[in-house]
Amino acid sequence: MIQLEKIFKWVNAGNNRTFLLKDINLTINEGEFVSVMGPSGSGKSTLLNIIGMLDEPSEGSYHFLGNDVYKMKEKQRSQLYKENIGFVFQAYHLIDELTVYENIETPLLYQNIKSSERQAIVADMLDRFNIVGKKDLFPSQLSGGQQQLVGVARALIAKPKLLLADEPTGNLNSKQGEEIMELFRQLNQESGTTIIQVTHSEKNAEYGQRIIHLLDGRIEK
Amino acid sequence: MLKNYFVTAFRNLARNKSFLLINVAGLTIGIASCLLIFLVIRFELSFDDYHAKKDRIYRVTTVFDRSGGLDYSSGVSVPVAQALRVDYPQLEVANMMSRGNDMITVLEDGKPVKKFRELKGVFFTEPQVFKIFDNKWLAGDPATAITDPFTAALSRSLAVKYFGSWQQAVGKSIVYEKSQPIKITGVFEDVPENSDYPFGVVISQSSNRSLMTNTDWQSTTSDQNCIIVLPENMSAAQFNNMLIAFRKKHAPESSTTLTKISYHLQPLNEIHFDERFGTYNERTFSKELIRGLALIAAFLLIIACVNFINLSTAQAVNRSKEVGIRKVLGGTRRQLVFQFMGETFIITFIAACLATVVTWLMLPFLSDLMEVSITPGAGQIPQLLLFLVAVIVCVTFLSGFYPALILSGFNPISALKSKLSAKSIGGLSLRRVLVVLQFGIAQVLIIATLVVISQMNFFRSTSLGFNQQAVLNIPLPADSVSHSKRNIVRERLMQQPGISNVSYSFSAPADFGAWSSDFNFDHSPVPINFEPSLKWADTGYFSTYGLQMVAGRPYIESDTTREFVVNETLVRKLGLKSPEEALGKEINFWDGRIVAPIVGVVKDFHSNSLKDEMNPVVMGTRERSYRMISVRIDMSKSKELLAKIEKIWNESFPDYVYEYQFMDEKIRNFYRQENQLSQLYKVFAGIAIFISCLGLYGLVSFMAVQRTKEVGIRKVLGASAANIIYLFSKEFTLLISISFLIAAPLAYYFMRDWLNKFVFRIDMGIWFFVVSIAGSLCIAWITVGYRAAKAAFANPVNSLRNE
Repeated sequence: MIQLEKIFKWVNAGNNRTFLLKDINLTINEGEFVSVMGPSGSGKSTLLNIIGMLDEPSEGSYHFLGNDVYKMKEKQRSQLYKENIGFVFQAYHLIDELTVYENIETPLLYQNIKSSERQAIVADMLDRFNIVGKKDLFPSQLSGGQQQLVGVARALIAKPKLLLADEPTGNLNSKQGEEIMELFRQLNQESGTTIIQVTHSEKNAEYGQRIIHLLDGRIEK
Repeated sequence: MLKNYFVTAFRNLARNKSFLLINVAGLTIGIASCLLIFLVIRFELSFDDYHAKKDRIYRVTTVFDRSGGLDYSSGVSVPVAQALRVDYPQLEVANMMSRGNDMITVLEDGKPVKKFRELKGVFFTEPQVFKIFDNKWLAGDPATAITDPFTAALSRSLAVKYFGSWQQAVGKSIVYEKSQPIKITGVFEDVPENSDYPFGVVISQSSNRSLMTNTDWQSTTSDQNCIIVLPENMSAAQFNNMLIAFRKKHAPESSTTLTKISYHLQPLNEIHFDERFGTYNERTFSKELIRGLALIAAFLLIIACVNFINLSTAQAVNRSKEVGIRKVLGGTRRQLVFQFMGETFIITFIAACLATVVTWLMLPFLSDLMEVSITPGAGQIPQLLLFLVAVIVCVTFLSGFYPALILSGFNPISALKSKLSAKSIGGLSLRRVLVVLQFGIAQVLIIATLVVISQMNFFRSTSLGFNQQAVLNIPLPADSVSHSKRNIVRERLMQQPGISNVSYSFSAPADFGAWSSDFNFDHSPVPINFEPSLKWADTGYFSTYGLQMVAGRPYIESDTTREFVVNETLVRKLGLKSPEEALGKEINFWDGRIVAPIVGVVKDFHSNSLKDEMNPVVMGTRERSYRMISVRIDMSKSKELLAKIEKIWNESFPDYVYEYQFMDEKIRNFYRQENQLSQLYKVFAGIAIFISCLGLYGLVSFMAVQRTKEVGIRKVLGASAANIIYLFSKEFTLLISISFLIAAPLAYYFMRDWLNKFVFRIDMGIWFFVVSIAGSLCIAWITVGYRAAKAAFANPVNSLRNE
């Protein structure tokens, strides 16, 4: 599903070139649950952003579902992204001005799905995550765990093949974190969603089938 | 999708109420000003544009080429129309009309019942006039209504005024001055306000003997207009060429006069805009003025848009997270631009709705100021809506596009990591440029306003060379019976305590409509090469108006012209070395019809407004030309004196309608248009400053919030409140100074042009500019200072605690 070859990413600060990623070669198959670990500044988020097409490397190639991502036109790439990738953030990143329902609905809007269809999809999702009663609340009226639940629901609403999570439990207490992790495992096993998560916690990393360790921009071992 | 955008937009706007308020307030005022100016311009541009033949209607005008320059008259000699009809049968219509504003007496069963003094709308004209202009007829036949002598057609409102209802008017009679009864043969719908041919009482020209017998090709008054309709296949240029031969044939140049006359066609659609010729409404509206107003409207709108851009980009940081999320969720840049433009549209739309209400409320005031009713009729609503839509679209794009571009251009990763600050998103320098632009415009308007106001003050306070205070002007009827009562009336008036002088004259020292003519000086066979004003007046005129002699003496009282007094300008223009040299020299008017010596030279006084040059003047007694009474009164008793004068006048001239005007009031009327302009400038400059300050306040509020932490730290490090206020004001002071450097030369350039229109004018001193910059800075400091002080006096512990 994902093939990264010779990925380099650097930034220039004065005369010094600082490498964020160095020579990353990585293949992830469909249905995998991968955890990315490493100390702060090791390039975990950068790697995740590159996989999520939010960022581009300075060098290297990236194939996603057989498409050479960097040779695609902007429009096609955007289409590929919208249909296949969902994001979950440490800080949830819900839109404050929108209700739970509207937040979950937003990705569908960008895919030009019809109103009636949208209603059905969102209603299903609210049901599945057990948050029907909260659909008219605003993010600020929810606890952190509930917000993240909404964040996950929103990431999954367009039925992506790949779910990217950047420290999804970082702002949660251990019980809430466990619930999210259980949810991820369930998703991975029952729906076959490919999941890549960045985490600091060994325990959460264990939920994945494979752990990738990053240090100073390189994959260890 | 749209619903989602609107929901976000509304919740966002509701969350930032102060920004919404500032934006909507600024845009509302900007759009309302724009709408009002649009209404004024639309009204002025619509003059006489509703006639079916409007593209073929022309006025034949006269241009006098004198050695001193060109003079323009909207009129032609009376025989011109008839001669045109004979010489050029291909002309569709050629029609003469003369204004004859005076007293109308309404007859019932042959007896006078009501008298009205009509100052506007009374015309003597040939029957073809109704083939030129489109008037809707309510009764009578336009083709035959005024073919016979002593027939007339009335406008609906005058018919109602005279006879109670227009249905009853036809068949009734009126009297013009002392004419024989004139029969009403038709009633037409009132002429719209946007016409320079405001027909009210249209009397057949054949009713007026002096017009019918007039064969004088030399004299011309602007009251006598000849209007023609060209055939479809003829251009104005072609006919102008024919007019050269026409003039040579009928009015050959004599060897003795130095004035060359030529006729020119003036298209109907230029009549309202050409100040040189004038109109029957005595009001023109130059294209230059229209452009100026349009420019001001555009300026005000731009200032309002600038506010919007400034505030939106400043606020962009707060929206960055949302932008980041939307991008991660798959929103494309185009969709985001669309969303933010939508928000701008909502604000603009709200503002436009409010502006419409404001415009509606302000219309009566503007109509008052402009002295015309510019309220749009139902027919203009579509046009108005179209304009409003255009304004909304323009404002939405002008003010929404750039912020939308900035916002949608955020990199989602940095946006989500809150790495964006007001500085890093760019637009800071743009915001500075915009503030400079805003205050530049405001300062141009401030300087312009100051200049216009000072020039108006100059007009008001400069002495015209005679005493204009406390003199009442009342009419003296022209007929011989009234004239015979002159001495009795004077005596009766002089008996009133509080009345010090009474004088009879043709016109006031400075008056509308002058009588001018050349003459032969000192037995010269050739007339002089300029035309001095003739001021016929009795001896009392000198004391009534406080005119001073520089040489010789005033003429002695007489009914005919026995002696002349001239002014200094005339002496200079004759090339005489000193006033004394003029004394005893002979003046010969109209081939010996009036011949008399100069006995005195009067100190120069202005015989027209200060806009024009000092005129040469010839004064003399001539009883038959007197048309007005000047009465100097004690202003402390003005109330009872006015009543007594009216009583005496009505007893002496029972057939006429009394009216009066104070001399200084008349002089103020010279500057009506300038006065209107100065009022408009005042209002719009005030609006420009207000909107600019609104924006400034918003910007500073935003900065204060952004820099709360910085302010806190600085205070902890020992900064005083004054230091903090200085921190905030420093930048704006600099920006306003820069805007001044741009505005000052621009304003100087424009206003020097404007002042050059007046012969007597103020100097554009340095103080205009000093006041402008000082005023702008003060206003800006007050605006900024309030917000800055709030930030400066805040307890730093509070601002730092939540870090």
